Amino acid sequence: MFEKILIANRGEIAVRIMRTCREMGVRTVAVYSDADATALHVLEADEAFNIGVPEPSASYLNMESIVQAAKETAAEAIHPGYGFLAENADFAALVESAGLTFIGPPSSVIRDLGDKTKARKIMQSAGVPVIPGSMEATTDADAICREADRMGFPVLIKAAAGGGGKGMRTVEDPKDMSEACASAISEAGKAFGNGAVYLEKLLRKPRHIEFQILADQQGHVVHLFERECSIQRRHQKIIEETPSPVLTPAIREKMAHSAISAATASGYVNAGTVEFLFEPPDQYYFLEVNTRLQVEHPVTEMTTGIDLVRHQIEVAAGNPLAFTQADVTQRGHALECRIYAEDPAAQFFPCPGPVLLYREPRGPGIRVDGGIYQGCEVPVEYDPILSKLVVWAEDRPAAISRMMRALEHYPILGIQTTVPFLLDVITSEPFKRGETHTDFIDKHFQHWSPDEKGQDLAAITCVVHDLTRGPASRDVRDPKGISTPWETLGHWEL
Amino acid sequence: MIYHVTVNDQTHSLDVSPGKGRTLTITRAGQDPKQVLFHSIDDGHLFLVVDGKAVETFAAEGPQGKHIFVNGRTFLVKDAGEKPLRKKSGSKVDIPEQVTPPMPSIVVRILAETGDRVKRGQGLVVVSAMKMETTLVAPYDGTVTRINTTVDAKVAPGDILVDMEKVVLEDG
Repeated sequence: MFEKILIANRGEIAVRIMRTCREMGVRTVAVYSDADATALHVLEADEAFNIGVPEPSASYLNMESIVQAAKETAAEAIHPGYGFLAENADFAALVESAGLTFIGPPSSVIRDLGDKTKARKIMQSAGVPVIPGSMEATTDADAICREADRMGFPVLIKAAAGGGGKGMRTVEDPKDMSEACASAISEAGKAFGNGAVYLEKLLRKPRHIEFQILADQQGHVVHLFERECSIQRRHQKIIEETPSPVLTPAIREKMAHSAISAATASGYVNAGTVEFLFEPPDQYYFLEVNTRLQVEHPVTEMTTGIDLVRHQIEVAAGNPLAFTQADVTQRGHALECRIYAEDPAAQFFPCPGPVLLYREPRGPGIRVDGGIYQGCEVPVEYDPILSKLVVWAEDRPAAISRMMRALEHYPILGIQTTVPFLLDVITSEPFKRGETHTDFIDKHFQHWSPDEKGQDLAAITCVVHDLTRGPASRDVRDPKGISTPWETLGHWEL
Repeated sequence: MIYHVTVNDQTHSLDVSPGKGRTLTITRAGQDPKQVLFHSIDDGHLFLVVDGKAVETFAAEGPQGKHIFVNGRTFLVKDAGEKPLRKKSGSKVDIPEQVTPPMPSIVVRILAETGDRVKRGQGLVVVSAMKMETTLVAPYDGTVTRINTTVDAKVAPGDILVDMEKVVLEDG
């Protein structure tokens, strides 16, 4: 087993990986940009290494600096988390050639599956059903536009290197095509260091269902059941759950079999996710393999009781899987809500800034994977995810009630977050009925605005807060809540 | 004591009279008095019992007022003595009157040049915040008189990135 692992990421996922490392007795190294010197993942790590200026391309996407950090701190392995370099085959190859272990699949597998055209061929030859209409990825916007004209609208522009909705655009009207293309290529270039995009035919009413797989270096492959991730805004998931409210045992079995075929055919090692688009009652199409730990992995951990990060590390260290398919069972129901620093009443525009107050909900079946703390500053440079609120309960209705209580007790003040929006979504009738399609937000919540009920209690809280605060604290109006001696000492000169 | 506060731009007047211990009677015009039992366990974390019902609420002082959290909802509460915010007009899809970013962001592309004649809704500047790109558009038909920014510049709400002059219709 490794003695020390470097985590090449930031925020909640870096913190979550470090927690498992600590439980395994593995020491941790954080890397951080100048914007993150006092971020939670830096405070949580045994050691921290500065890798540059805030701009992602100069820090969290800077492969040489990260490998150099691992060498200087004598870390033996690098966990990439998700996003940034997690699905970058060049980075995995660089880590391998430096004599370090990349905690993920071999670079060759990332390269094959990251090339969506090649991945499609692998899946077709393994008998996995694929979605109609893809083509070669390119950064040539004119070529993409010509191909779209040939295929017919609507189309989906997708980043070849990507995931998470970055570099993705839906185009309904041919006249929007050229600006959408330029914008997608530029966004993909920034997010993944590779601007190449490709096209896909847009399905009208699909569900997004994915299967978690885990494979060791000895050739054993297991699946850990599905996650339904259909509730999305801007093609980025915000609510995930398992089990899916629509899969029958027969179709679940069939899709799981396809997921294992996909993993076996690609020579997969470590944790991965096979994504499908599902159209009831039983049609499903291979979408892509995410060759990394997923944001939404905790719902699988809650229902199977398996710590995916622990097994990622075990597999990377060369150990065989400690369990077989027959040992994996799905129990109860888990839901995840992604808490973003975004204003849901203003098209989910990002909302960086200081966190004035922060308390996490508590109680049975509640898990918070967070990357912030009270008094921290959410920087403008990175993805706006703050934390993930995950609940487990015996069944879906109980999980929804539990999520509602947890969201009602999750104050994050100073910045706008998705909490009030998520509360309205999970308590809505269509969500309760399990009518979760990828167009759910556009269909039911397009013109959402915050509920005004609670104004009375807010006014009362304001009065009580004023009455219970001492005169000293009332005068401190610094947004960070910290007054320095320079402010309290008054005027003086050196 | 009478408190005048605005909650999300709506003014509330509360007549507050302290009772025994940690109790208050709060009366609003035209409503029955509410009995409030309160306990502050640390600054900003309150337990209230209002008319027999328990609720946990949170408050934090910010530059624009008090941020308050009640049952999953957040509110901005200001002293009504201060100048109230201009009531937001119309729906959220209205185009702002100025070419300014809605949040702190970074300029990624400039789509217009000085002297360009542009239509209302036409993209002028693309900004990126937290890796998401947004296009700032022309608020009205007009002419671009000045570009006040450059690619890679850090910009904030209130910074006018493009100066424009409205088109004056000359012959109806």
